[in-house]
Amino acid sequence: MARQDRKKSKKIEKGYFSDVRLPVTKKYVYPRSRRLMLFIGGGGALLIAFIFFFNTTVQRGTLISNGPLSSNHAIFGDDCSTCHNPFGDVTDDKCEVCHEKYGDEVGIHTFASHYLYRSGDFTRVVPSPDEVPCMTCHTEHVGREAPITTVADVQCLPCHEYGSFNEDHPEFEPDAEALADEANLKFPHAYHVNEVKEHEEISDVEQTCLYCHNPDPDGKNFQALDFDRHCDACHLTSSISTPWLMMADDAADGMPGVLTLETIRSQQAAGTRWAEFMNPGEFQQRSTTVRKRPLYHEDPWVLTNLTRLRSMLYPSSGLADLLTASADVEPQDARVLYEEALATLRDHAEALRAQPERDVQDALDEINGLIQLVTERLRDPYAPLDETRFAISAAQLNPALTPEQVGAYDRFIDQLTEPCQLCHLVDKATVMRPQTDQETLIRAEFDHGAHIIHRRCLECHTEIPIRELTATETEPDSTRDRADILNLPEIASCQTCHTDAKASNTCITCHLFHPDKSQRSNLLLYLKEDR
Amino acid sequence: MKKTAIYQRKRPHASRVFNKWVQSPRWFWGFWIAVAVCLAIYIVNVLFGRVHPSSVWGLGYGIAAAVLFVGIFTYALRRRTMRFRPGRTWYYLQFHVYGGALFLLLMFMHVGFKVPHGAHTWWLWALSIWVVVSGLLGIVLQKWIPTLLNSGLSIEVHYDRIPELVESIKKKAETLVDSCSAPIRSFYRKNLAPALVTPETRLIYYLDITGGLQARTKQFDHLRALLPADEQEKLDALQDMYRTKLEIDAHYTLQKALRWWLYLHVPVSILLVALLIVHLYAVLYY
Repeated sequence: MARQDRKKSKKIEKGYFSDVRLPVTKKYVYPRSRRLMLFIGGGGALLIAFIFFFNTTVQRGTLISNGPLSSNHAIFGDDCSTCHNPFGDVTDDKCEVCHEKYGDEVGIHTFASHYLYRSGDFTRVVPSPDEVPCMTCHTEHVGREAPITTVADVQCLPCHEYGSFNEDHPEFEPDAEALADEANLKFPHAYHVNEVKEHEEISDVEQTCLYCHNPDPDGKNFQALDFDRHCDACHLTSSISTPWLMMADDAADGMPGVLTLETIRSQQAAGTRWAEFMNPGEFQQRSTTVRKRPLYHEDPWVLTNLTRLRSMLYPSSGLADLLTASADVEPQDARVLYEEALATLRDHAEALRAQPERDVQDALDEINGLIQLVTERLRDPYAPLDETRFAISAAQLNPALTPEQVGAYDRFIDQLTEPCQLCHLVDKATVMRPQTDQETLIRAEFDHGAHIIHRRCLECHTEIPIRELTATETEPDSTRDRADILNLPEIASCQTCHTDAKASNTCITCHLFHPDKSQRSNLLLYLKEDR
Repeated sequence: MKKTAIYQRKRPHASRVFNKWVQSPRWFWGFWIAVAVCLAIYIVNVLFGRVHPSSVWGLGYGIAAAVLFVGIFTYALRRRTMRFRPGRTWYYLQFHVYGGALFLLLMFMHVGFKVPHGAHTWWLWALSIWVVVSGLLGIVLQKWIPTLLNSGLSIEVHYDRIPELVESIKKKAETLVDSCSAPIRSFYRKNLAPALVTPETRLIYYLDITGGLQARTKQFDHLRALLPADEQEKLDALQDMYRTKLEIDAHYTLQKALRWWLYLHVPVSILLVALLIVHLYAVLYY
């Protein structure tokens, strides 16, 4: 008790505090200086300034970089000015030093080129107000292994307002518009599957698909169909011949007939050098008719006669005579026609070289000049080409022929091409060009190899009921199984796996912004130009 | 009528925790509204735009963060211009605290909530986190330690007077011990003298503010039983000195944290300013 009283009395004593009478300070107590903090911070800041100066002047700014360049650009990592402009953006001209010849009007990496895509429609190629610099989509400095060609959907959505692949993406155009496959062939799948199964002793239906649908080396798409590889084993065997055909020399005036091998040889017309090498034993003559056996695919005798008959029906068919089949190709494939026509022209030129006459040699010079001109033009992958110049117009029908004569010609052409028409369509005295490339999607890429691991062929391609037809069919059913059925799955089939939670479903999973990825860098063209 | 400081105003209807940790509900809710707005903008960005520091969105976040950072830094200037009174420091502090937290959010939005790849930007990112987290640590310490000190100690001492006061106690103790009997002198030399030399930092005070005071003074009871009455009073006085020294040690330990957390915060903040300047230059140049 006494102790507590003493404590109380001490506490109230002036000038002291606590039980032990510690003195209250008589002066203001200044806190200890904190300048050390500022010195440490200031020193650190100076160090940073020095490092920055050293790094930007001696080490070329490697520390300032926002991150490692992608592997393809890593070589430029030591020199920022390769891509960067002082106090400016990374401009396209820096990229174009390697990737594209600067100043191209329709460069492969421009927006205009994106409009063109693979349509081949050059009317769509106009300078775009939406043009953006390369760096907008191809972001650098995000890691050595970063794929800078991987572009986020947001870059596409301002124009393509689909929201997402799984919600608003339109149906594939062939499905949406019920487009037919312009295969230009008569081909019942199920019938052929059964034939291949039997011929090759294959039990699995889907294995038979691979008999004709041969994957490319990368497994993405399929190689173009080829008669020699896929059809020759069964078709046009040595027993196949043309019907007996009226010979032209014996045909009545204005009526159709075929030229015999001897006549063709004697005429020495352009593009008939094959006649020198053809075996006369393949022809049989009976009275005023002739037939040929065996027949070859693209048999030159048949095609020469067909061309001749066509020129009588359609005298101004023009460039069509330079082709072996019709000009039915998509605009983007017009190059095929030009190349085929060039090959024919070169063949004609070869034949003319043996004739020393002055006028022939003059004509040869003209042809060679034309070949050279067209060849140069074809070198530019984006040169506008007009496939319609090879087309035969119905309006060009020879006015000198009566309808009866025209009918007779049509019937005769059907006879001549009877063996061809087992598979091919013939129209306007022309064999219709078959669609051999097997590529249906124009605006998207599809990797069959990546998908076959997960799904079998017939799980997706269900429009033609192959299994059902192969099990029950005795005769080809052209209503359910024919070549012009695209057999393309609907987009819903893709959407079962390509979702946010499963397989990738971004725009670039299937689409390319730049039309042709094989042309991503035209450095080689650039170098050629310099040579 | 007594004027109440802004930071002392209490909301009678608010919870005790809210009253303790939030000085101004207006700033508090304003901050959360700003956070919500920023996140909403970011979500729109993710859905309809490109998330990248160099995109228009990303640059916007970066510029906002940089402007905010300059504003946050004015608190340090305000503290050094007290005589000019450019507004109340309290407002600067509120902006410093809430603006700092918002700066971190904007910085994260700027980099798309990813870790930057470059060396410079990585340091900028890391130091931004460090500075804001150390600032938040400072707030926690400023709220927690004073309450802790007030909860179990009988004295209050100024941190910068502690060495002087410990010296004073030591002198008093030695004067007293000189007049004591041999057992007390021996007890003092053996048990107390080493403890009275300098202020001691003991982490136990963070867990127990008394620092085991009862257990430490128990030894006095053992000796007291052996002493005559007059010597017992001297021992009581010695015990008071020892108890006071231990309480000063508690102050020393805890107040040190209040002073030294700034070393985690301020120098790094200055480094961050330097890095930010370099970053702005690099962005403009490249």
